[in-house]
Amino acid sequence: MRKSVLLALAILGGLSAAAQAGDQTDFVTVERGRYLAVLGDCAACHTAPGGKPFAGGVPIETPFGRLVGANITPDRETGIGDWTLEDFQRAMSEGVAKGGYHLYGAMPYTAYTKVTAADNAALFAYLKTLEPVHSEVETNQLPFPFNIRLSLFGWNLLNFTKGEYVPDPKRDAEWNRGAYLVQGLAHCGTCHTPKNVIGGDKNDQFLKGNVVDGWLAPDITGNAHEGIGKWSVDELIDYMKDGANRYDIASGPMAEVVEKSSSQWTDADLKAVATYLKSLDGSPTAPPAPLAASDPRMVAGRAIYEDRCSGCHVGKGEGIAGLFPKLAAAPLVNNADPASLIRVVLAGSRAGATDARPTGPSMPAFAWNLKDEDVANLLTYVRNSWGNAAPPVAAGEVAKLRSELQP
Amino acid sequence: MHTSSPSGLSRRRFLASTAMAALLAASGKAFGDVIRGTQPFSPFDYAPPETLPGGRWYFFSPDEARAVEAIVERLIPADDLSVSGKEAGCAEFIDRQLAGSYGSYERLYMQGPFQKGTPEQGDQSEFVPRARYRRGLAALDAWCRASHSKAFAELPGETRDEILSGLEAGKIELPGFDGRLLFETVLGNTMEGFFADPIYGGNKDMVSWKMLGFPGARYDYRDYVERHNEKLDLPPLSIAGRPEWKTRG
Repeated sequence: MRKSVLLALAILGGLSAAAQAGDQTDFVTVERGRYLAVLGDCAACHTAPGGKPFAGGVPIETPFGRLVGANITPDRETGIGDWTLEDFQRAMSEGVAKGGYHLYGAMPYTAYTKVTAADNAALFAYLKTLEPVHSEVETNQLPFPFNIRLSLFGWNLLNFTKGEYVPDPKRDAEWNRGAYLVQGLAHCGTCHTPKNVIGGDKNDQFLKGNVVDGWLAPDITGNAHEGIGKWSVDELIDYMKDGANRYDIASGPMAEVVEKSSSQWTDADLKAVATYLKSLDGSPTAPPAPLAASDPRMVAGRAIYEDRCSGCHVGKGEGIAGLFPKLAAAPLVNNADPASLIRVVLAGSRAGATDARPTGPSMPAFAWNLKDEDVANLLTYVRNSWGNAAPPVAAGEVAKLRSELQP
Repeated sequence: MHTSSPSGLSRRRFLASTAMAALLAASGKAFGDVIRGTQPFSPFDYAPPETLPGGRWYFFSPDEARAVEAIVERLIPADDLSVSGKEAGCAEFIDRQLAGSYGSYERLYMQGPFQKGTPEQGDQSEFVPRARYRRGLAALDAWCRASHSKAFAELPGETRDEILSGLEAGKIELPGFDGRLLFETVLGNTMEGFFADPIYGGNKDMVSWKMLGFPGARYDYRDYVERHNEKLDLPPLSIAGRPEWKTRG
């Protein structure tokens, strides 16, 4: 008798738990939130390598000092367990956390403000399903005076416009979806848009390239010289989905973006983003004239290229599709800023690996057998051959990056 | 000048590798790791060849260095094909090799018993290269001072040739060291120094490679494979680069 009562209670308990879980705004919303979290690559800053998902702890080096991604698991003390949807909505759309303190721009609320309330609700629903992790993260490790959050009030006046994305009625749904993602959750501008002296986006130069932590996030507008103007929509999709197209292979921070985020986007979203990016006006600034092949720097650079680079990138910079990036007519190569080029030559680099292209080929480091002047001449040659044209690289630039990067 | 087989290190290498294989099998743990996902990568990860900067002797005393230079200068004399072994840096090459892992035969089994062995068994000496030079050069110096009242390096070229030929043929008995072993060791090392990459101290300015038309440490010939019946005259390339890398003008 007692046994059957217990059994009945247990069944009832089970049923009510099931009913709660099945209280479905829910499965669908949570799954949509999960996808949106991938789309926004929240894990990039909120999941430490080897750490619990979304428990924070990823250091973000900014020009002003170090910030650390917060714990956004539903832990009540150290995470966002006591936040309401309204609190979350406010953090996303205004950059103000529960308790009323301002978030730093490393949390890209200047982009997330475009996210719709419905998407924020889905994201929040997903975050609520995570395993709560009790882990105190000191997010603000900036030096004085940047560590004073009140200063962000003034920063916001200068750099922040609040408001959800407003669709452009002159454009179709696909374009608007792409614009919504690029400007909002995908926060492409966080890396790819040039910054002013206080770290705000120069919105008149949206996605026109920017150097982040010693990497160049290149121009991704339709600029045919430095941007992706020569890439077709399909080639852009290949790059974002597989990490490689016939021109280039994602490397450095973009390799992470592809691995953790864009390789998992839906085909429709990839197409929307590619369509939108392709539509962005490439600035008409005339590319510089290439250096003459007889320039002594070019002559020396050519010898180095033939001896050290042509084995993979091939004699005329054509590369091998899907394996070794093409250097001829490559946006990154033609960019005015050679930071990424210097960096990969000195330190080497590994491409992103995706399901479609699982190899993740890597380029070896040449810091040990190329001097600063060698690297400068080599890159000057690469940047001014096979249709490329970009300012020459100086040995001093190489020396500076070498001393900053070399462990 | 010299026709015997190359020094027979192969037996020791074989034994060493067998021992290693047995060790690995016994421990059940290979040096390799299982790699999952993508291959590991870290920036600035490279393993450059071990080299020593020039401008000094690492192993030889000044007298030993003079003696070795006097030998390599006669083994590879300057002629219309190339500079001499001395000018090509063979002595510096040998000095740096002796200072490194080669000098102690670090990779070889060098415990006894040491027996004479047959010629087919190759090098059976108990002496590692450093000992061969230290003892051998001391013995050569003693022999030269006893028979010519001068150090080897102070003797005229023809006399040095005679002495070297005598050592090679086993006709000169050095006090306390096998003269033939000394000769064979220096000859082998001199050839290595003359033809090795210049980063190791010899083959200065890639002189031997230029002499032979050897294009050096090149990686890729795809741009050339279809250029038939054409003399390419590719300039030689060292691990450290080539003169054409320098900015001129």
